[in-house]
Amino acid sequence: MFDYAWFIFLTPIIFAPIAAIAGRKTKVLGGVIASISITISLILAIIVYIGLRLTDVPVYQTYNWFGNIDAGIYIDHLAIVMALMVSFVSLMIHLFAIYYMKDDPRQNTYFGETALFTGGMLGLILSSNLLEFFLFWELVGLCSYLLIGFWFFKPNAASAAKKAFIVTRVGDLLFIVGLAILYSLLTVRNVASPLSIPYLINNAPLIAKEVGAQNLTIIGLLFLGGAAGKSAQFPLHVWIPDAMEGPTTVSALIHAATMVTAGVYLIARVLPLYENATYVAPDAVLFIGAFTAMFAGTMGIVMNDLKRILAYSTISQIGYMMASLGMVTVIGTSVIGFSIYHLVVHAVFKALLFMTAGAILIALMELRDVRRMGGLWRRMPVTVTLMFIGSITLAAIPPTAAYFSKDTIIDAAYLYYIRSGGNIYSILPWVFLVIGALMTSLYTFRMFYLVALGKPRSKLAEEAKDPPMIALIPLMVLAFFSLTLGIIQYRFYDFIDPSTIHVSVPFMVEFTPLTMVVIGILAIAVVYGTGIWKNMDLSRSRVYRLLKAKYYLDYLFTRIIAERTILPLSSGIARIESGFSRDVEATGAGAMGFGSVLRRIQNGIVEYYFVFLIIGVALLMLILEIVGGI
Amino acid sequence: MNNIFLNQYLTVMYPEIFLGLVAFGMLLMGKRYHDWKVYTGISIISLLIAMILLLLLDAGNETFYGGAFQINNFGLYFALIMIVSSLYVALSAGTVLKDNPEVFFATFLFVNIAMIIAAFSLNLIFIFIAFEGVSVGTYILSAYGKSRRNLEASAKYFFTGIIATGFIVLGSSYYYMATGTFNLISGVPEKGAMLIALVLLFVGFGFKLALVPMQQWAVDAYDGTSNPVSAFLSSGTKVLAFFILLRVFLVGFSHFYNDVFYLFVIVSIITMTYGNFAALSENNLKRMLAYSSIAQAGYLILVIAVVSGSSSTFAFTVAIFAAMYYSIVYIFMKGGSFLSVSAVNKDKVEINDLEGIGVKSPLFAVSLAILMLSLAGIPPTAGFFAKYYLFLSLISGNLWWLAVIGILNSAISVFYYLRVITVMFRKNDSHEFNLGSSVMLPLVTAAILTIGLSLLIFAYPQLSSIVGGLGVVR
Repeated sequence: MFDYAWFIFLTPIIFAPIAAIAGRKTKVLGGVIASISITISLILAIIVYIGLRLTDVPVYQTYNWFGNIDAGIYIDHLAIVMALMVSFVSLMIHLFAIYYMKDDPRQNTYFGETALFTGGMLGLILSSNLLEFFLFWELVGLCSYLLIGFWFFKPNAASAAKKAFIVTRVGDLLFIVGLAILYSLLTVRNVASPLSIPYLINNAPLIAKEVGAQNLTIIGLLFLGGAAGKSAQFPLHVWIPDAMEGPTTVSALIHAATMVTAGVYLIARVLPLYENATYVAPDAVLFIGAFTAMFAGTMGIVMNDLKRILAYSTISQIGYMMASLGMVTVIGTSVIGFSIYHLVVHAVFKALLFMTAGAILIALMELRDVRRMGGLWRRMPVTVTLMFIGSITLAAIPPTAAYFSKDTIIDAAYLYYIRSGGNIYSILPWVFLVIGALMTSLYTFRMFYLVALGKPRSKLAEEAKDPPMIALIPLMVLAFFSLTLGIIQYRFYDFIDPSTIHVSVPFMVEFTPLTMVVIGILAIAVVYGTGIWKNMDLSRSRVYRLLKAKYYLDYLFTRIIAERTILPLSSGIARIESGFSRDVEATGAGAMGFGSVLRRIQNGIVEYYFVFLIIGVALLMLILEIVGGI
Repeated sequence: MNNIFLNQYLTVMYPEIFLGLVAFGMLLMGKRYHDWKVYTGISIISLLIAMILLLLLDAGNETFYGGAFQINNFGLYFALIMIVSSLYVALSAGTVLKDNPEVFFATFLFVNIAMIIAAFSLNLIFIFIAFEGVSVGTYILSAYGKSRRNLEASAKYFFTGIIATGFIVLGSSYYYMATGTFNLISGVPEKGAMLIALVLLFVGFGFKLALVPMQQWAVDAYDGTSNPVSAFLSSGTKVLAFFILLRVFLVGFSHFYNDVFYLFVIVSIITMTYGNFAALSENNLKRMLAYSSIAQAGYLILVIAVVSGSSSTFAFTVAIFAAMYYSIVYIFMKGGSFLSVSAVNKDKVEINDLEGIGVKSPLFAVSLAILMLSLAGIPPTAGFFAKYYLFLSLISGNLWWLAVIGILNSAISVFYYLRVITVMFRKNDSHEFNLGSSVMLPLVTAAILTIGLSLLIFAYPQLSSIVGGLGVVR
């Protein structure tokens, strides 16, 4: 029988065109239909969740797609948690978007695309086969392209959409190469369904023995490339700050529920493969994640665009999740729980932060420069209070949820250091993550100070007003969860993996991150609270310039790699090509000439036809005489 | 059971007899009724009944009339698709032919009788009669229409056609001289006379398929006749001629495969090249389609080259399957594109007259584009799979060089097919189009079928199991 769980992802996909078409006349209908479809998904996901709690048997249903590829759904504890999170957060964002997009003439298209986006992400989560997974992965990529470029009349938005698409494509290329290698290695060994996810995660040690840990490492690194592209990890993170050109609700969707979590989910999904590869693959995940957590935070400090600050914070937070997954060989499968818990918490508070940012941007007519805001707490009390809740959660101040989720990861990094023999090399992740915590605190409170406190620094900020309360209800729900999700920490871990260890580290170590947060708050209070920042001229500082230029990575990618290397190469090839096509054109002209000669035989006079015919028959006979030998 | 109506020799002819009775009935009705709709309805219904009667026949490879007539699945397949092509044309014919519709449709049914007979014949006399039945019928059909051009085209077609008849009679007599029988399955014949018969029969039967050097009537005739008739001439009768070529040369000349091979390879290469090159610079839409159908005939007869030139059983099976597949696809893609010409209300339709139709009727433009892509052999259309199997058979028969020539020719043909598509989507508001249901319906049907028939590749096991019905002894 066709399991109803299929409709978790089919409903938004089916409703997407309906929302787009129905919303053409009555604008608000698009958002309502999209929200209803996601509500259905959420309800179905809850039903499946209850079923899983009761029976503990994963929902697994597949059909033969082609050859030895079986496509279908596979819902275990990991997948259902993700599905619940995506459908819930996406629903909140959709509800807010009905308000946020209310004046947009193309909002029906918008809601069609976001519903498709959510459906694609849910399909990705529930896939039972990596090829099917890849298909939805690409669907998500396509929708992100459409949505980032939703305001395509802005040149920035169009080029940002292109950038996001091309950069993630680099990752996707690595991913599919990895898939191809895995597939070919397993197919020659007569595996019944080589890319089936349950097969891969249940037989990982056997696979490692069969195909060799070295090969598995290569596959793991290629998958990591794909995940880094999607989840915006160093060095493929460059697309995400530009992706802020889309509507703010799209940013919320990309950063919280869909898109960027896909990479983390991919690695969590096939983590047994990493566990059984050589140490290179998981360590690459760990170090890239930890490094990104710190690295993106440093850039977040100097940004002046409200949404870009949040974008860098996303990159940094995803880095924590990645780093957590990378510790799998030392700490065991508990890390999936750590990582996914932080992912869920992050989704909740990041959606909240983005939507408060959206509310502020609406009030300020899309003015995004934080230096021109200020004093908004008094003018938009509800919105900014919600933002405050989001900010303290982002900075991981107890008792918010992120305190539990993020500090567990940092503590786990310390445990990693202890368990792997205490060498200097293995302390690095912990150091990176702790510095990341400091950075998080710095950019969060800098942003919050500049937005909310002080005096308004522009006319728009003076006249800002709260949006209607009804629009803020989804935000309040999210704020509630970001404050309280910490309660379920250990139940969550045990649901994902019943054998989760409880990380316990020395008292001093446990308080290091919190100390960092406090240092950050103090630093911001000193610099901004006293007004020093207005007189600071940082433009001569090298560090500042380096950060401001985003470590020259954009320069490296666009100027040096694209313009100096690839463009000359392609223009060289184009020159050869154009020479070739000139030859082809000459051939074409010759062919046309020849054709018109041939057509001249066709003069419409029947007598000539007969003559031609008889000559032809005679020639045929002659040819047969020569070659066939009559 | 001595009932005369259940006599075997009569029962195998029931579809033909039925169609004949209906046709005569129609001629009588012509005294009183002049509405073309009545006749269209009657002919469609009777063609459908004929199809059912055909399907009721016992296709058990039994022979009748002294080995001259054999009912088997292979012949049945071709008989059915030829009737399908007639049905397809009948659907749209009435609207352009206002005068004497009863004569038109009666002739049409007579042509179908001849087609069914041809599909089951294993005897040159039977084949000749059937072939002439079709020819004479189509002479009349092609004269239908409003203008003098139709008459002129019909006259040209007629004069060239009787030459072909002469060749067939002469070739048949040489065949008889060599083998002592008109049956296609015969003993080892005498060589000299047989090879003369080969060339003469080839000229005679190749006429309908418009192979070079017998191609010249085709362009004028297609161009001059009304669109439904040219659709029929280039689809139904071509499939018939192709089927006869398969039968006569692969069965009747099985001892001379070497010569058959050279003959068909040479003619095929010349025909493809001629058709494609001549179509390149042609501006008249119908003439371009006519040249393209000459080129397509060149591809079709590659099947005969494969079968005669290679001893591989797989290549044989795939080649005959390709023939069966190509034939049915060809009916719709070619018939549909000829019928689409009616969208422009002109005597001589230039390709550029289609400018702006992409804006006025996207459905028309997309449908015609699908047909053009299919003719050019671009996936996922059925035309692609037809060419795919054709070239697959060439390659598996070790004739890869011939496949290369065929593929190069396809590449050339893409140029003029794509030209139609680009012209359609150009902006131009000044043209008026006739986009009534009589134009749209057949075109859209053809487009849907051209995509849908690609599913027929899944019937490969079933269809390839009946290729033995061709009668080739291997």
